[in-house]
This record gives sequence, C-alpha cells and structure tokens, in this order.
Amino acid sequence: MSEKLETKATSIIEGFREKWTTAKIVDLLVRNSLLIVILLVMVYFATQNERFASLGNLRAVLIAAAPFALIALGQTIVILTGGIDLSVGSVVALGAMSAAWLSLRLPPEQLWLAILIAVILGTIAGVINGLVIAYLDVPPFVATLGMLTAASGFAYVIGGGAPINGLPAEFAIIANAKIFGFQLPVYMMLGSFIIMALVMRYSAFGLRVYAVGGNRTAAEVAGVNAKRTLVQVYTLSGFFAGISGVVLASRVGSGPPSLGVGYELLAIAAVVIGGASLMGGRGTVWGTFLGLIIIQTLGNGLDIMIVPAYWQNVINGVVIVSAVAVDVWANRRRTR
Amino acid sequence: MAPVLVVKALEKSFAGVPVLKQITFNVEPGEVVALAGENGAGKSTLFKILTGQLRPDRGAILVDGQNLDHLDTKIARELGIGIVPQELAPYPELAVYENLFVGRELKSRLGLLKRSEMISEAKRMLEVFGLSISPTAKMKSLSTAYTQIVEIVKATTWGAKLLLLDEPTSSIPEHEVERLHEIVRALKGQGVAMVYTTHRMSEIEQLADRVLVMRDGMLIMDSPAAEATPEAVITSMIGRDLGNLFPSLPKPGKNIGLSVEDLVLEKGGPSVSFEVREGEILSLGGLVGAGRTEIIETIYGIRKAESGLVKVGSQLLQLGSPRKAIDSGIAIVPEDRKGAGLILQRSITENGGLPRLKDYLFAGFVRLRIRKQAVTKSMDKVALRSRSLDQAAGTLSGGNQQKIVIGRWLGGDTKVLLLDEPTRGVDVGARGEIYTIIRDLAASGLSVVLASSDTPELIGLSHRVLVVREGRITGELKRDELDDVSAQENIFRLSSGQEILNA
Repeated sequence: MSEKLETKATSIIEGFREKWTTAKIVDLLVRNSLLIVILLVMVYFATQNERFASLGNLRAVLIAAAPFALIALGQTIVILTGGIDLSVGSVVALGAMSAAWLSLRLPPEQLWLAILIAVILGTIAGVINGLVIAYLDVPPFVATLGMLTAASGFAYVIGGGAPINGLPAEFAIIANAKIFGFQLPVYMMLGSFIIMALVMRYSAFGLRVYAVGGNRTAAEVAGVNAKRTLVQVYTLSGFFAGISGVVLASRVGSGPPSLGVGYELLAIAAVVIGGASLMGGRGTVWGTFLGLIIIQTLGNGLDIMIVPAYWQNVINGVVIVSAVAVDVWANRRRTR
Repeated sequence: MAPVLVVKALEKSFAGVPVLKQITFNVEPGEVVALAGENGAGKSTLFKILTGQLRPDRGAILVDGQNLDHLDTKIARELGIGIVPQELAPYPELAVYENLFVGRELKSRLGLLKRSEMISEAKRMLEVFGLSISPTAKMKSLSTAYTQIVEIVKATTWGAKLLLLDEPTSSIPEHEVERLHEIVRALKGQGVAMVYTTHRMSEIEQLADRVLVMRDGMLIMDSPAAEATPEAVITSMIGRDLGNLFPSLPKPGKNIGLSVEDLVLEKGGPSVSFEVREGEILSLGGLVGAGRTEIIETIYGIRKAESGLVKVGSQLLQLGSPRKAIDSGIAIVPEDRKGAGLILQRSITENGGLPRLKDYLFAGFVRLRIRKQAVTKSMDKVALRSRSLDQAAGTLSGGNQQKIVIGRWLGGDTKVLLLDEPTRGVDVGARGEIYTIIRDLAASGLSVVLASSDTPELIGLSHRVLVVREGRITGELKRDELDDVSAQENIFRLSSGQEILNA
C-alpha cells in the first residue's frame, strides 16, 4: 500500500519534472521578470514601512496614478504604430483649463457640458495630430512637438496667463466621489485599461494597429488603410489626454496652465518599461499597466521612506534604462 | 606576366546545398572578364568569397601568387581587390569628394579634415577618368550611371588591382552605358583587371577579353571573347533540366478575367495593354528593372497610374487603392516578401487573416474561431509547415513564408492573382510546391499574372509570356513558341533589345 503510494508520488514528481524543465522555468521567469521585480519591490517596501501595505496607501497610489495612466494608455497605442505623441502633456493642460474656465461660466447643472467640451477639445488636438501625420507625412515627433507648443499656448490663453481658481464644488465631484472606498478616476482608469486591452487583443482596430506598426507597407498591401488607422490612434490619444485633463483639474480644484508638463515623457517611460518597442509593432496594454505600477510603486515607496525627490529622479532614470535593457536581452534570448 | 588572380577548385555550400562546385579560373592583369549566368548561378557567392565576405569550404585563392587561406574583407582590400556592388550604397546627402574619402579621410595633425586638399585630390582622381563632375556636388544630384562611376573611382582609389563589378549596367539607361564603358577601358589601360557580371550580350562583345559562364554553381564556359558567340554563351547559361520541377498546365478558359487597357505608369511613359483569360497564367519576363514590378503594383493600386483602364471580368476597377483591388477580387504576392508581404513579428493566423479581415468581423471584433478555421483551411491547401498557426511568421523558412503570402488569398472570391518573383529566395524543394499551388489556382479559374526574371520559370509555368523592356511590352511568346528550343534564347533576346530568332 505504502509502496503504491510512493510510486504514485514519484510518478507525479516525474510528471511535474517533465512538464517543468529548468529551461521552461527560466523562460517563464524571464518572461515575467517585470512582474517579479514589482512584487519584490512591493515586499521590500512593505518590510521597511508598515504604512506601505495599507488600504489608505493603495487608495493614494491609485488616485495619483489615474490621470497619468489614461495618457499612458493612449501613448501605448500610438507607440504601437511606431509613432510618438509628445503633445499629451499640453493637451492635458488644455483640457484642464477649458474645463475649469467653462465650469465657472456654466450653471452647475450644465457641468457635464464643460467636461464634454474639454474632452472634445483634447480629441480635436488628437485628430489634428493624426491628420498631419497621416496625410501630410510630417514625422510624428515633429507634428506632436508642434501640438505640444500650440496646445500649451492655448492653455495659457484660456487662463490669461494665470491659473483659474475657485472652481465650483460640484466640479470636484468628478475626482473625489467615492464608490466602495475608491475615487471615480480609479474606476475610469481600470475600466479604460480593461476595455483597451480587449480592443487591442480582439478587435480589427487592434490588429490593424499592430499591422501598421509592424510593417506599414505589408499592411497596406493587405488592404489596411494605414492613414485612417493612424488618425484613429492619435485621436484616441488626444481623447484620453482630454479626460485626464478634466480629472486633474477636478482633483487639484483649479486650472493651472502648467498642469501636465512633462507627463508625455513619464507616459513614454511607462510604455517602454512595459516592453513596447519604439519602432512599433511590439508591446501590450498589460505591459504598460505593469510599467505604470512600477513607476508609481517606486515613487510612493520612496516617498514613504522619505527619499528626497531629486534622488527619486535618479532612481527612476536607472529603472527606465534597466527595464528596457532587460527586455531587449530577454527578447534576444527568446529568438536565439 | 603572372596572373593577378588564381582560383583553384573553389567549393561552397549553404546548409548542405552546394552553390559553387569546383570553380577554377585565372585573371591576368589588365584583363576584362565577363561573368555571365542566370540568377542563382553562383555569381554573387563567388564575388563574396573573392572580397572576403564569405569563406569557401574548399579550394585555393591566389592573389599575385600569394596563397590566401583566410581572406577577410580587410585583407582583400589591402591586396587590391575592389568591388562595386549591384546595390550601390553611396551617401546621397554628402558631396562627391566626401563619398570618395569616407573611411580614409585626409586629416591634419589635429585630426581635423583637410577639406580643400580632399577636394583637389578628388578633382584629380575624377580627371584621370576624363570626368567633369564637380567634387563638391551632392551625390544625390548625380545620375545612376555617374553614381556608379564614382563608386568605381572610389574602389580604385584604394589601389585596386582587381575590380569586381556586379551588374554595373543593369540599372543604367542605354545612352549612359557608353560612359561606363569608357571608364572600364581607361582602367584596363592602367593595368587594372576586372571581372564583371552582365546580362547584355553586346557588352560582352564590345568590352570583354574573356567570357566565363556559370550555371548551377559550375563554371560551364571559359573562353576568349572573340571565340564566344552570343548563341554559345546563351546556350551555356541556360539548358538546365526543368522537366520535373514544373507541373503540367491545364487549358485556360474562354472568358477574360483581367484586362489592362492603355495603362500608363508615369507621365510620358509607354502604355501597356494585355488581357488574361480565366485559368490562364500570363507571365511578364524581362531584366531586373524592366518595369514588371511597376506594372503589377499599378494594377494593384500600390502605385498611382497616370491613365488607363483595368477591368476584372467586366467590372471596371478604380485604380490607386489596394483595398478596392482586394474587394474586386485581385490578390497580390509582392516581390519583397519581408518588406511588403508579411508582418514578421505577428502570427501566421493574423497575417493569414489580414486581407480578408472584414469577413471575420462582428461589431468590429475579430471572430477568432472563424478566422482560425479559414486560415487553417487555406494554410492546409498550401501545405504550410509550421509548429502552430500562432507562430510568428518571421520564424518560418522563406518557402513557408511565401506559402502564407499566397495561401492567404485562397478561400475568398479571388479572381486575379498577381505574383511578383514568387520563388525568389525559395529553395528548390519549396519551389516545386509553389509552382503546383500556382498551377492549381489557375486551374480553379483564377487569372494569374506572373512576373519573373527566372527564365525557366517563365517557360515552365506560363501559357503565354510577355517580355517587358524599359516599361513597354516588346514581344509575346505563346505556348507552342515556349515549347520550342529557342524559347529561352528568344526571351533573352527580347529582354536585352535584340531581334528574335526565326525558328
């Protein structure tokens, strides 16, 4: 009886060994290296300071991440086509300023109109980017650099060069209303990520984005309208930036025209840490999500440990480059 | 005088497939040697070995009597072997003199460029060849012929004793060829030996001292140019056993599947007209750069047409949009498989389903199961060999990649299939399979247009061959004419602008 049990146990172990060869396990670890690093970082912070692993802290991290996550989401799709959207930070400011300006001039019950117009303005900025890039063949870097400057200019024009303060209390609801303990933008962020992950994975649009980014000529030969896809992609990026602007203005409770400065670079960092290639065609929404988590977790953990902000920047810089270096190495290993 | 180059029993294989077999020849100083042979005969491999880019498996190379066991690019250059590749790689934004001096710039002691010296030196170098090009002109302002000449000058300034020219005249218009010939003669006068590949018979007669002909990796002919008639050269180049590679062709149908009427590709260019019946394989032959690809890409809408009509069946096609072409039943297998055929990092399923993506959609989302079924079915038809359909297309062999590019058009209502060099870079085994697939597609009623620079392919696989030269159709060979022994030679003659032989 016990012998039988023993042979059974050995056969299970043997079976396990066959299924999980060392090579396979190493491959699995390499493939999920980013996730592992995140977990290690979290465990480390949790052991260093008990405040880190608290619900309150999770809430704080998530709400801080939300506006920035929305931009990174748009940026992911742009980068998948081999492009880049430098204008998102300024479009955030444009969205925030227009929402703030309108909220002071519209009656409280028409607040939705202020939000809608702000989002539409962001979307229009994206459409312009897309049209210029797709139909005038202006390189994305240049086109969106132009939009960065122009949208920022508009943001200052709206505020007359000064922040817009004293926003109505109703406006603050957008960013501060809580459902099950978490603020509304947290749900917007999670919802957008899930929807876009599904869209990129299962929709025709998603496939076309990967195709255009992977090989534009081949995509066009196969009948993909690459120009239209590009316009759609930049439009989406502008749309998300617009929403992000509204959320930020509501959270800050005012409309400073300098809002969102430098966000584009943080968003790009999250995307590339997540394994996307700036050459296009490679990367995922899930990867960007992980990239965001690592940036936010690190920032939050270091804050709690009272590491000075300037040192945090140094650490962030090292993280960006090492994450991509590891990713490049892992890919070479896989295709060896 | 001792030969500048001695090649003895040179052998080279790629993955067990021999590409050079027992190659032996000498080149004397100041000798001009024409190297003829069809695509894939092994000319490029030979050049790569002589310039040290590839190692031979066996055999010896002697330069100036010196045995070279391990030639690498640096040693080859130091010994005076220069090459002007077919694909020129100039720096178009830099000046002519900068192009000439890249890699061996004249520098002052401080490491600064001595531009004025380089300019006057470049001027002198160009004058040796009687060229009046300004050394400060931008490279991109020169014509192809002059770009080629500057590349030749560049190769000689390293002190080349032996110059290898890979199809120097293939991309040069007729009236500029003489310029290049003058340069060749000038170099010859300086005692530089040259080996050049060419497709032009007239060039062999005018320039060469000696003719080498390669076929299937072997040196078939080595004789003084005076003794080599064009007929003898062509017979040596071709005459490969084609019997078993090509499937038999069924009779084409009666209805016209594709008609092209007065299609003008560019302003002032020649117009092209032809018709393809259902079930017919019509081939476009001609030299590289003759304009076959352009015709195919214009029909498909990748290129804009200047004027003309294209009809699929009786339906007029709106030119200029691949999407419209696909929707009216035209399929393409582009020349550049990696550049225009596949998205290499994506899976077989995604690549396979891309042209007919519309058929698999529901509310913008891909119905994965239906797509997978369709792709599986069409990939089975082309006998694709892969581990799974989720494999990235880039991980497959050239032949299997090409099967995806062809196979993805099966199953839908494809009426016209445009094939551009469908077997380029495909090994012989897979070639046979691809020929059978093409034949079967034609047999199912498709009108097939096949552009190829592989003459045996044209003869073995077509109902009719149109020969294209400088953008216009210069001749047509029907099936009975293709069966004639003179077929290869006639295609060759039409391609290179000669009179057709009367059988």
